[in-house]
Amino acid sequence: MAKKSVWSDNRFWQRSAAWITGFASILLIWLTFDTIPQITMGTDADLKQGVTKRVPGPTVINYKITYEMNAKRMHEIPVIGGMNAEGTSAFEEKELFFGRDDWSEEEASELLHLGKLGSQAKNCMDCHTLLGNGAYYAPDLTKAWLDPAWGPEGSMQAITGKSTKEEAMAEFLQHPSNYPTHARMMPNLGITEKEAHGLVAFLKHMSSIDTNGFPRNFGKIQGAVHGK
Amino acid sequence: MFEPFVDVVPSFFGWLNQGPLTMTIFLHTFIVLPMFWIYKQEKARLESEA
Repeated sequence: MAKKSVWSDNRFWQRSAAWITGFASILLIWLTFDTIPQITMGTDADLKQGVTKRVPGPTVINYKITYEMNAKRMHEIPVIGGMNAEGTSAFEEKELFFGRDDWSEEEASELLHLGKLGSQAKNCMDCHTLLGNGAYYAPDLTKAWLDPAWGPEGSMQAITGKSTKEEAMAEFLQHPSNYPTHARMMPNLGITEKEAHGLVAFLKHMSSIDTNGFPRNFGKIQGAVHGK
Repeated sequence: MFEPFVDVVPSFFGWLNQGPLTMTIFLHTFIVLPMFWIYKQEKARLESEA
């Protein structure tokens, strides 16, 4: 009788499959729990005490946010409230958001929640990308708040006749068809003023999330990093 | 070869995933090595049965 090979033996493959499936299941459960502290939102106290969180608390909308190259991590990171000596967030410099820099945790949470629901109701992801999810038809919104086009040197404040970034964004969101900036024009979605404020807060908060340098090419946009 | 851990939230997978392919090589090693052991056991069983 011919010698039986292990490779053609059913039991070898059964045991290997059981090991791989079991190991992968444990790994995936471990990864799930490992992800929880990474994606848990910080609090107002974290911001006040200078604790860096991957997802900062909602009151981050009171702070100035920039996107700076970090030499250690070799990609851009969101810097909240000015930069400290180590090149990370100092949590000091504030910035008016719709005329205020004292949004309480409750108010800021409510505004962000409204923006989040608005982004889902109006289905932003049908055209845009948010944190890697969505479509590639319209610009990536992950770091839209940091896009220099909306800044004092950009064109959007002049086009919309507003003097701040958040007001220009809110105006654009309410009447996108009045400001055709692109061949792929954004349709009028019937966004109200309140919803627009929520959406802008949602975008500002999203830009403060540490995404390990994603989207990778964002820093190459002129003016986005180091004001260059 | 060993750099200080600079990720925002310390994590075993973050630590493991610092270099090119480090996570892939580690996980594949962990999956493939026990398969050698399974292979040897099954080979011994087939030989004893023959």
